[in-house]
Amino acid sequence: MKSRVIVITSGKGGVGKTTTTANLGTALAMTDKKVVMIDTDIGLRNLDVVMGLENRIVFDIVDVVNGNCKLKQALIKDKRFDGLFLLPAAQTKDKTAISPHQMKNLTNELRKDFDYILVDCPAGIEQGFKNAVAGADDAIVVATPEISSVRDADRIIGMLEASGLNNARLIINRLRSKMVKRGDMMDINDILDILSIELLGVVPEDESIVVSTNRGEPAVLETASRAGGAYRRIARRLMGEKVPMLSVDEENVNFVDRFRKILKLAR
Amino acid sequence: MSAALRSVNGEIRVDMRSFNTFSEIKDQLEEKLRRIDSYALGTLVTLDMGDKHLSSKQIREIEDILLDHGLHLRELRSNSRPREEEDENPFSDMPGYSDTALICRHLRSGQKVFCEGNLVILGDINPGAEVVAGGNIVVMGSLRGLAHAGAFGDESAIISAYRLSPTQLRIANHITRPPDGEVIVVSTPELARIRAGKVVIEKLKI
Repeated sequence: MKSRVIVITSGKGGVGKTTTTANLGTALAMTDKKVVMIDTDIGLRNLDVVMGLENRIVFDIVDVVNGNCKLKQALIKDKRFDGLFLLPAAQTKDKTAISPHQMKNLTNELRKDFDYILVDCPAGIEQGFKNAVAGADDAIVVATPEISSVRDADRIIGMLEASGLNNARLIINRLRSKMVKRGDMMDINDILDILSIELLGVVPEDESIVVSTNRGEPAVLETASRAGGAYRRIARRLMGEKVPMLSVDEENVNFVDRFRKILKLAR
Repeated sequence: MSAALRSVNGEIRVDMRSFNTFSEIKDQLEEKLRRIDSYALGTLVTLDMGDKHLSSKQIREIEDILLDHGLHLRELRSNSRPREEEDENPFSDMPGYSDTALICRHLRSGQKVFCEGNLVILGDINPGAEVVAGGNIVVMGSLRGLAHAGAFGDESAIISAYRLSPTQLRIANHITRPPDGEVIVVSTPELARIRAGKVVIEKLKI
Protein backbone atom coordinates (compact mmCIF):
# COMPACT_ATOMS: atom_id res chain seq x y z
CA MET A 1 0.00 0.00 0.00
CA LYS A 2 1.19 3.46 -0.87
CA SER A 3 1.89 5.50 2.21
CA ARG A 4 0.08 8.78 2.76
CA VAL A 5 1.40 11.92 4.38
CA ILE A 6 -1.56 13.77 5.91
CA VAL A 7 -1.22 17.19 7.48
CA ILE A 8 -3.71 18.15 10.18
CA THR A 9 -4.16 21.89 10.32
CA SER A 10 -6.64 24.61 11.24
CA GLY A 11 -5.14 28.08 11.25
CA LYS A 12 -6.71 28.97 14.56
CA GLY A 13 -5.27 27.58 17.74
CA GLY A 14 -7.12 25.50 20.29
CA VAL A 15 -9.62 23.87 17.94
CA GLY A 16 -8.23 20.38 18.42
CA LYS A 17 -5.48 19.70 15.89
CA THR A 18 -3.33 17.84 18.37
CA THR A 19 -6.25 15.92 19.86
CA THR A 20 -7.35 14.97 16.35
CA THR A 21 -3.85 13.85 15.40
CA ALA A 22 -3.47 11.75 18.53
CA ASN A 23 -6.88 10.12 18.13
CA LEU A 24 -6.66 9.46 14.41
CA GLY A 25 -3.14 8.11 14.79
CA THR A 26 -4.26 5.77 17.53
CA ALA A 27 -7.43 4.74 15.68
CA LEU A 28 -5.41 3.91 12.56
CA ALA A 29 -2.89 1.96 14.63
CA MET A 30 -5.77 0.01 16.18
CA THR A 31 -6.44 -1.43 12.73
CA ASP A 32 -2.83 -2.67 12.53
CA LYS A 33 -1.61 0.09 10.27
CA LYS A 34 1.90 1.42 10.70
CA VAL A 35 1.48 5.01 11.75
CA VAL A 36 3.86 7.80 12.68
CA MET A 37 2.74 11.14 14.06
CA ILE A 38 5.05 14.14 13.59
CA ASP A 39 4.70 17.10 15.92
CA THR A 40 5.84 20.18 14.00
CA ASP A 41 4.88 22.66 16.70
CA ILE A 42 8.48 23.36 17.63
CA GLY A 43 8.72 25.35 20.85
CA LEU A 44 5.16 24.53 21.94
CA ARG A 45 5.03 20.80 21.66
CA ASN A 46 1.92 19.04 22.95
CA LEU A 47 1.39 15.84 21.03
CA ASP A 48 3.78 13.90 23.27
CA VAL A 49 1.81 15.04 26.33
CA VAL A 50 -1.54 14.09 24.83
CA MET A 51 -0.13 10.66 23.94
CA GLY A 52 1.42 10.29 27.41
CA LEU A 53 4.89 9.86 25.95
CA GLU A 54 6.55 13.02 27.22
CA ASN A 55 8.97 11.27 29.57
CA ARG A 56 10.38 9.08 26.81
CA ILE A 57 11.73 11.87 24.62
CA VAL A 58 15.48 11.77 24.06
CA PHE A 59 15.88 13.15 20.55
CA ASP A 60 13.49 15.31 18.57
CA ILE A 61 12.72 16.44 15.03
CA VAL A 62 15.38 19.17 15.06
CA ASP A 63 18.02 16.61 16.09
CA VAL A 64 16.96 14.45 13.16
CA VAL A 65 17.11 17.15 10.48
CA ASN A 66 20.42 18.41 11.83
CA GLY A 67 21.90 14.94 11.78
CA ASN A 68 22.48 14.76 15.55
CA CYS A 69 20.80 11.38 15.63
CA LYS A 70 19.33 8.77 13.33
CA LEU A 71 15.64 8.99 12.46
CA LYS A 72 14.97 5.64 14.15
CA GLN A 73 16.50 6.88 17.38
CA ALA A 74 14.15 9.86 17.59
CA LEU A 75 10.98 7.86 16.92
CA ILE A 76 9.14 7.00 20.13
CA LYS A 77 7.11 3.83 20.13
CA ASP A 78 3.65 4.12 21.65
CA LYS A 79 2.89 2.41 24.96
CA ARG A 80 -0.17 0.63 23.59
CA PHE A 81 0.38 -0.13 19.92
CA ASP A 82 3.48 -1.54 18.27
CA GLY A 83 2.69 0.09 14.94
CA LEU A 84 2.33 3.61 16.35
CA PHE A 85 5.24 6.04 16.60
CA LEU A 86 5.75 9.65 17.52
CA LEU A 87 8.39 12.03 16.24
CA PRO A 88 8.34 14.80 18.86
CA ALA A 89 9.05 18.49 18.32
CA ALA A 90 11.88 20.30 20.06
CA GLN A 91 10.79 22.47 22.93
CA THR A 92 13.86 24.70 23.24
CA LYS A 93 14.03 25.90 19.62
CA ASP A 94 11.60 27.70 17.33
CA LYS A 95 9.87 27.09 13.99
CA THR A 96 12.84 28.34 11.97
CA ALA A 97 14.96 25.44 13.21
CA ILE A 98 13.76 23.38 10.25
CA SER A 99 12.97 24.26 6.64
CA PRO A 100 10.19 23.01 4.32
CA HIS A 101 12.85 21.27 2.25
CA GLN A 102 14.18 19.33 5.26
CA MET A 103 10.60 18.44 6.21
CA LYS A 104 9.97 17.04 2.74
CA ASN A 105 13.07 14.87 2.95
CA LEU A 106 12.01 13.69 6.38
CA THR A 107 8.52 12.64 5.29
CA ASN A 108 9.94 10.89 2.24
CA GLU A 109 12.28 8.96 4.54
CA LEU A 110 9.32 7.93 6.73
CA ARG A 111 7.26 6.78 3.73
CA LYS A 112 9.50 3.73 3.47
CA ASP A 113 8.38 2.33 6.81
CA PHE A 114 4.91 3.67 7.47
CA ASP A 115 1.42 3.51 5.98
CA TYR A 116 0.26 6.78 7.46
CA ILE A 117 2.35 9.79 8.37
CA LEU A 118 0.24 12.29 10.29
CA VAL A 119 1.71 15.77 10.58
CA ASP A 120 0.40 17.87 13.46
CA CYS A 121 0.59 21.45 12.22
CA PRO A 122 1.07 24.42 14.55
CA ALA A 123 -1.46 27.26 14.64
CA GLY A 124 -0.79 30.21 12.39
CA ILE A 125 0.18 30.64 8.76
CA GLU A 126 3.90 31.29 9.09
CA GLN A 127 6.99 29.11 8.87
CA GLY A 128 5.53 26.35 11.04
CA PHE A 129 2.60 25.93 8.67
CA LYS A 130 4.87 25.99 5.64
CA ASN A 131 7.06 23.30 7.19
CA ALA A 132 4.09 21.12 8.06
CA VAL A 133 2.50 21.14 4.60
CA ALA A 134 5.79 20.76 2.72
CA GLY A 135 5.71 17.01 2.27
CA ALA A 136 1.98 16.37 2.56
CA ASP A 137 -0.24 14.48 0.10
CA ASP A 138 -3.51 15.22 1.87
CA ALA A 139 -4.76 17.75 4.33
CA ILE A 140 -7.33 17.60 7.09
CA VAL A 141 -8.68 20.93 8.25
CA VAL A 142 -10.10 21.01 11.77
CA ALA A 143 -12.66 23.67 12.59
CA THR A 144 -15.02 24.29 15.46
CA PRO A 145 -18.49 25.74 14.83
CA GLU A 146 -17.38 29.29 15.59
CA ILE A 147 -17.11 32.15 13.14
CA SER A 148 -13.48 32.83 13.98
CA SER A 149 -12.48 29.22 13.50
CA VAL A 150 -14.36 28.92 10.22
CA ARG A 151 -12.79 32.15 8.98
CA ASP A 152 -9.29 30.88 9.75
CA ALA A 153 -10.09 27.49 8.24
CA ASP A 154 -11.14 29.28 5.05
CA ARG A 155 -7.83 31.13 4.97
CA ILE A 156 -5.93 27.91 5.55
CA ILE A 157 -7.80 26.07 2.80
CA GLY A 158 -6.83 28.88 0.45
CA MET A 159 -3.21 28.54 1.49
CA LEU A 160 -3.32 24.77 1.12
CA GLU A 161 -4.68 25.19 -2.40
CA ALA A 162 -1.89 27.65 -3.13
CA SER A 163 0.64 25.00 -2.12
CA GLY A 164 -0.97 22.36 -4.29
CA LEU A 165 -3.17 20.58 -1.73
CA ASN A 166 -6.54 20.81 -3.41
CA ASN A 167 -8.14 17.86 -1.68
CA ALA A 168 -8.40 19.16 1.87
CA ARG A 169 -11.12 17.54 3.95
CA LEU A 170 -12.90 18.96 6.94
CA ILE A 171 -13.41 17.74 10.48
CA ILE A 172 -15.92 19.74 12.48
CA ASN A 173 -14.88 19.47 16.09
CA ARG A 174 -16.67 20.15 19.36
CA LEU A 175 -20.17 20.37 17.89
CA ARG A 176 -22.88 20.75 20.52
CA SER A 177 -26.02 19.33 18.99
CA LYS A 178 -28.27 20.88 21.62
CA MET A 179 -26.96 24.35 20.89
CA VAL A 180 -27.32 23.76 17.16
CA LYS A 181 -30.93 22.70 17.66
CA ARG A 182 -31.60 25.86 19.63
CA GLY A 183 -30.02 27.85 16.82
CA ASP A 184 -27.24 29.11 19.08
CA MET A 185 -24.43 27.44 17.17
CA MET A 186 -23.50 27.25 13.50
CA ASP A 187 -24.71 23.99 12.08
CA ILE A 188 -22.80 21.69 9.77
CA ASN A 189 -24.45 23.01 6.63
CA ASP A 190 -23.62 26.61 7.49
CA ILE A 191 -19.97 25.66 7.76
CA LEU A 192 -19.91 23.52 4.63
CA ASP A 193 -21.65 26.31 2.74
CA ILE A 194 -18.78 28.68 3.45
CA LEU A 195 -15.85 26.29 3.24
CA SER A 196 -17.21 24.14 0.41
CA ILE A 197 -14.87 21.20 0.93
CA GLU A 198 -15.56 17.55 1.60
CA LEU A 199 -16.65 16.71 5.12
CA LEU A 200 -14.61 13.95 6.69
CA GLY A 201 -16.46 13.83 9.96
CA VAL A 202 -18.08 15.56 12.88
CA VAL A 203 -16.80 15.18 16.42
CA PRO A 204 -19.25 16.08 19.17
CA GLU A 205 -18.27 18.11 22.20
CA ASP A 206 -17.33 15.59 24.84
CA GLU A 207 -15.99 16.11 28.34
CA SER A 208 -14.21 12.78 28.18
CA ILE A 209 -11.69 14.40 25.81
CA VAL A 210 -10.47 16.62 28.63
CA VAL A 211 -10.08 13.64 30.92
CA SER A 212 -8.33 11.47 28.36
CA THR A 213 -6.04 14.31 27.29
CA ASN A 214 -4.99 14.95 30.87
CA ARG A 215 -4.37 11.27 31.38
CA GLY A 216 -2.39 10.91 28.16
CA GLU A 217 -4.78 8.29 26.81
CA PRO A 218 -6.46 9.11 23.47
CA ALA A 219 -10.26 9.01 23.63
CA VAL A 220 -10.55 6.44 20.84
CA LEU A 221 -9.37 3.82 23.35
CA GLU A 222 -12.54 4.31 25.37
CA THR A 223 -15.49 2.60 23.80
CA ALA A 224 -17.96 4.73 25.71
CA SER A 225 -16.54 8.05 24.54
CA ARG A 226 -18.74 9.70 21.91
CA ALA A 227 -15.85 11.76 20.57
CA GLY A 228 -13.72 8.63 20.49
CA GLY A 229 -16.38 6.87 18.42
CA ALA A 230 -16.48 9.77 16.01
CA TYR A 231 -12.70 9.62 15.60
CA ARG A 232 -12.83 5.88 14.96
CA ARG A 233 -15.35 6.45 12.18
CA ILE A 234 -13.21 9.23 10.72
CA ALA A 235 -10.19 6.92 10.74
CA ARG A 236 -12.17 4.32 8.78
CA ARG A 237 -13.15 6.98 6.25
CA LEU A 238 -9.47 7.92 5.97
CA MET A 239 -8.73 4.32 5.05
CA GLY A 240 -11.23 4.59 2.23
CA GLU A 241 -14.17 2.84 3.87
CA LYS A 242 -17.63 4.20 3.23
CA VAL A 243 -18.93 5.06 6.67
CA PRO A 244 -22.23 6.93 6.67
CA MET A 245 -22.33 10.30 8.41
CA LEU A 246 -24.43 10.20 11.51
CA SER A 247 -26.96 12.95 11.82
CA VAL A 248 -26.57 15.31 14.73
CA ASP A 249 -29.30 13.48 16.62
CA GLU A 250 -27.70 10.10 16.19
CA GLU A 251 -24.37 11.54 17.18
CA ASN A 252 -26.02 12.55 20.41
CA VAL A 253 -26.53 9.05 21.75
CA ASN A 254 -28.69 9.09 24.80
CA PHE A 255 -28.05 7.22 28.00
CA VAL A 256 -30.24 4.22 27.20
CA ASP A 257 -28.58 3.71 23.84
CA ARG A 258 -25.15 3.91 25.35
CA PHE A 259 -26.15 1.43 28.03
CA ARG A 260 -27.41 -0.94 25.39
CA LYS A 261 -24.20 -0.54 23.44
CA ILE A 262 -22.08 -1.44 26.44
CA LEU A 263 -24.22 -4.52 27.07
CA LYS A 264 -23.78 -5.56 23.49
CA LEU A 265 -20.03 -5.16 23.75
CA ALA A 266 -19.91 -7.15 26.98
CA ARG A 267 -21.60 -10.11 25.39
CA MET B 1 -13.59 93.00 -34.05
CA SER B 2 -16.76 91.09 -33.55
CA ALA B 3 -18.05 87.61 -33.92
CA ALA B 4 -19.48 86.67 -37.27
CA LEU B 5 -23.01 85.43 -36.94
CA ARG B 6 -24.77 83.75 -39.80
CA SER B 7 -28.04 82.06 -40.25
CA VAL B 8 -27.96 78.85 -42.27
CA ASN B 9 -31.03 76.71 -42.86
CA GLY B 10 -32.76 78.05 -39.77
CA GLU B 11 -29.65 77.44 -37.65
CA ILE B 12 -27.30 79.98 -36.20
CA ARG B 13 -23.58 79.66 -36.72
CA VAL B 14 -21.28 81.79 -34.61
CA ASP B 15 -17.65 82.20 -35.58
CA MET B 16 -15.58 82.64 -32.45
CA ARG B 17 -12.18 82.02 -33.99
CA SER B 18 -10.90 85.54 -33.46
CA PHE B 19 -11.27 85.55 -29.68
CA ASN B 20 -8.71 84.25 -27.27
CA THR B 21 -9.99 84.25 -23.72
CA PHE B 22 -13.12 82.61 -22.52
CA SER B 23 -14.45 85.82 -20.97
CA GLU B 24 -14.11 87.53 -24.37
CA ILE B 25 -16.05 84.73 -25.98
CA LYS B 26 -18.75 84.95 -23.38
CA ASP B 27 -19.07 88.72 -23.65
CA GLN B 28 -19.25 88.58 -27.44
CA LEU B 29 -21.83 85.85 -27.39
CA GLU B 30 -24.01 87.73 -24.89
CA GLU B 31 -23.81 90.87 -26.99
CA LYS B 32 -24.71 89.12 -30.22
CA LEU B 33 -27.58 87.25 -28.74
CA ARG B 34 -29.07 90.39 -27.26
CA ARG B 35 -29.37 91.72 -30.81
CA ILE B 36 -30.93 88.64 -32.32
CA ASP B 37 -33.75 88.18 -29.89
CA SER B 38 -36.10 88.03 -32.83
CA TYR B 39 -35.04 84.45 -33.60
CA ALA B 40 -37.49 81.73 -32.83
CA LEU B 41 -37.18 79.86 -29.57
CA GLY B 42 -35.42 76.55 -29.78
CA THR B 43 -33.16 77.46 -32.66
CA LEU B 44 -30.00 75.44 -32.77
CA VAL B 45 -26.61 77.10 -32.51
CA THR B 46 -23.25 75.90 -33.78
CA LEU B 47 -20.14 77.51 -32.36
CA ASP B 48 -16.85 77.45 -34.24
CA MET B 49 -14.05 77.73 -31.70
CA GLY B 50 -11.03 77.47 -34.02
CA ASP B 51 -7.97 76.20 -32.16
CA LYS B 52 -9.33 77.00 -28.74
CA HIS B 53 -10.36 74.38 -26.36
CA LEU B 54 -13.19 74.61 -23.85
CA SER B 55 -13.49 72.59 -20.70
CA SER B 56 -16.76 70.88 -19.97
CA LYS B 57 -17.50 73.55 -17.36
CA GLN B 58 -17.04 76.31 -19.92
CA ILE B 59 -19.25 74.49 -22.39
CA ARG B 60 -21.94 74.31 -19.74
CA GLU B 61 -21.66 78.10 -19.23
CA ILE B 62 -22.12 78.68 -22.92
CA GLU B 63 -25.11 76.40 -22.99
CA ASP B 64 -26.60 78.37 -20.10
CA ILE B 65 -26.12 81.64 -21.96
CA LEU B 66 -27.79 80.20 -25.03
CA LEU B 67 -30.66 78.82 -23.02
CA ASP B 68 -31.24 82.24 -21.46
CA HIS B 69 -32.06 83.38 -24.97
CA GLY B 70 -34.12 80.35 -25.79
CA LEU B 71 -31.45 78.76 -27.98
CA HIS B 72 -29.84 75.36 -27.88
CA LEU B 73 -26.23 74.44 -28.43
CA ARG B 74 -26.07 72.03 -31.30
CA GLU B 75 -22.41 71.63 -31.87
CA LEU B 76 -19.09 73.01 -30.75
CA ARG B 77 -16.55 72.92 -33.51
CA SER B 78 -12.96 72.93 -32.44
CA ASN B 79 -9.67 72.01 -34.07
CA SER B 80 -7.93 71.40 -30.79
CA ARG B 81 -7.21 67.85 -29.88
CA PRO B 82 -10.14 66.35 -28.02
CA ARG B 83 -7.60 64.62 -25.69
CA GLU B 84 -7.02 67.80 -23.72
CA GLU B 85 -10.46 67.73 -22.26
CA GLU B 86 -9.90 64.30 -20.90
CA ASP B 87 -7.00 65.57 -18.85
CA GLU B 88 -9.54 66.70 -16.30
CA ASN B 89 -10.46 63.11 -15.61
CA PRO B 90 -7.27 61.11 -15.21
CA PHE B 91 -9.13 57.82 -15.55
CA SER B 92 -11.05 58.50 -18.72
CA ASP B 93 -8.28 56.92 -20.76
CA MET B 94 -8.85 53.74 -18.80
CA PRO B 95 -9.97 50.90 -21.00
CA GLY B 96 -13.71 51.35 -21.23
CA TYR B 97 -14.17 48.10 -19.35
CA SER B 98 -13.57 46.35 -22.58
CA ASP B 99 -11.77 43.66 -20.61
CA THR B 100 -13.72 41.41 -18.31
CA ALA B 101 -12.05 38.82 -16.13
CA LEU B 102 -13.74 35.56 -15.35
CA ILE B 103 -12.75 33.82 -12.12
CA CYS B 104 -13.91 30.23 -11.88
CA ARG B 105 -13.20 29.42 -8.25
CA HIS B 106 -14.05 30.33 -4.69
CA LEU B 107 -12.19 33.24 -3.20
CA ARG B 108 -11.21 32.42 0.34
CA SER B 109 -10.19 34.56 3.26
CA GLY B 110 -6.96 36.43 2.52
CA GLN B 111 -7.28 36.14 -1.25
CA LYS B 112 -7.63 39.21 -3.40
CA VAL B 113 -8.53 39.74 -7.03
CA PHE B 114 -8.16 42.97 -8.95
CA CYS B 115 -9.25 43.75 -12.49
CA GLU B 116 -9.21 47.05 -14.35
CA GLY B 117 -12.39 46.14 -16.16
CA ASN B 118 -15.36 44.06 -15.11
CA LEU B 119 -15.16 41.01 -12.91
CA VAL B 120 -17.31 37.92 -13.09
CA ILE B 121 -16.83 35.32 -10.38
CA LEU B 122 -18.25 31.85 -10.77
CA GLY B 123 -17.98 30.93 -7.11
CA ASP B 124 -18.29 32.40 -3.67
CA ILE B 125 -16.43 35.29 -2.14
CA ASN B 126 -15.89 34.35 1.46
CA PRO B 127 -15.48 36.72 4.39
CA GLY B 128 -11.96 38.12 4.42
CA ALA B 129 -11.60 37.92 0.63
CA GLU B 130 -11.53 41.03 -1.54
CA VAL B 131 -12.53 41.72 -5.11
CA VAL B 132 -11.74 45.07 -6.66
CA ALA B 133 -12.75 46.06 -10.18
CA GLY B 134 -12.57 49.24 -12.21
CA GLY B 135 -15.93 48.31 -13.67
CA ASN B 136 -18.78 46.14 -12.51
CA ILE B 137 -18.71 43.02 -10.37
CA VAL B 138 -21.00 40.07 -10.90
CA VAL B 139 -20.82 37.15 -8.47
CA MET B 140 -22.50 33.94 -9.55
CA GLY B 141 -22.44 32.70 -5.98
CA SER B 142 -22.49 34.13 -2.49
CA LEU B 143 -20.78 37.43 -1.87
CA ARG B 144 -19.83 37.35 1.80
CA GLY B 145 -16.58 39.30 1.67
CA LEU B 146 -15.65 42.72 0.37
CA ALA B 147 -16.38 43.97 -3.12
CA HIS B 148 -15.32 47.28 -4.62
CA ALA B 149 -16.74 48.19 -8.01
CA GLY B 150 -15.87 51.32 -9.97
CA ALA B 151 -12.58 51.51 -8.11
CA PHE B 152 -11.39 54.39 -10.31
CA GLY B 153 -14.39 56.50 -9.45
CA ASP B 154 -17.08 55.21 -11.78
CA GLU B 155 -20.28 55.79 -9.84
CA SER B 156 -22.35 53.96 -12.40
CA ALA B 157 -20.66 50.66 -11.55
CA ILE B 158 -22.81 47.93 -10.06
CA ILE B 159 -22.26 44.92 -7.86
CA SER B 160 -24.60 42.02 -8.21
CA ALA B 161 -24.55 38.63 -6.58
CA TYR B 162 -26.62 35.51 -6.49
CA ARG B 163 -26.62 35.95 -2.69
CA LEU B 164 -25.56 39.38 -1.57
CA SER B 165 -24.47 39.33 2.07
CA PRO B 166 -21.17 41.21 2.06
CA THR B 167 -19.08 42.39 4.97
CA GLN B 168 -18.68 45.64 3.08
CA LEU B 169 -19.63 47.07 -0.29
CA ARG B 170 -17.75 49.84 -2.05
CA ILE B 171 -18.79 51.56 -5.23
CA ALA B 172 -16.47 54.34 -6.44
CA ASN B 173 -15.83 56.35 -3.26
CA HIS B 174 -18.93 55.18 -1.41
CA ILE B 175 -18.46 52.68 1.40
CA THR B 176 -21.37 50.83 2.96
CA ARG B 177 -21.85 47.94 5.30
CA PRO B 178 -24.89 45.99 6.40
CA PRO B 179 -26.69 47.55 9.37
CA ASP B 180 -25.60 46.34 12.79
CA GLY B 181 -27.71 43.84 14.61
CA GLU B 182 -30.02 43.24 11.71
CA VAL B 183 -29.90 39.90 10.02
CA ILE B 184 -31.72 40.13 6.74
CA VAL B 185 -31.94 36.86 4.94
CA VAL B 186 -32.68 37.34 1.27
CA SER B 187 -32.72 34.30 -0.95
CA THR B 188 -32.89 36.02 -4.30
CA PRO B 189 -30.19 37.63 -6.44
CA GLU B 190 -29.62 41.27 -5.63
CA LEU B 191 -27.90 44.26 -7.12
CA ALA B 192 -26.14 47.21 -5.48
CA ARG B 193 -25.77 50.55 -7.25
CA ILE B 194 -25.58 54.23 -6.49
CA ARG B 195 -28.83 56.12 -6.63
CA ALA B 196 -29.02 59.73 -5.54
CA GLY B 197 -25.57 59.56 -3.98
CA LYS B 198 -26.30 56.49 -1.91
CA VAL B 199 -25.59 52.83 -2.34
CA VAL B 200 -28.91 51.06 -2.61
CA ILE B 201 -29.60 47.37 -2.88
CA GLU B 202 -32.39 46.21 -5.10
CA LYS B 203 -33.74 42.96 -6.33
CA LEU B 204 -32.05 41.77 -9.47
CA LYS B 205 -34.58 41.48 -12.24
CA ILE B 206 -33.55 39.19 -15.02
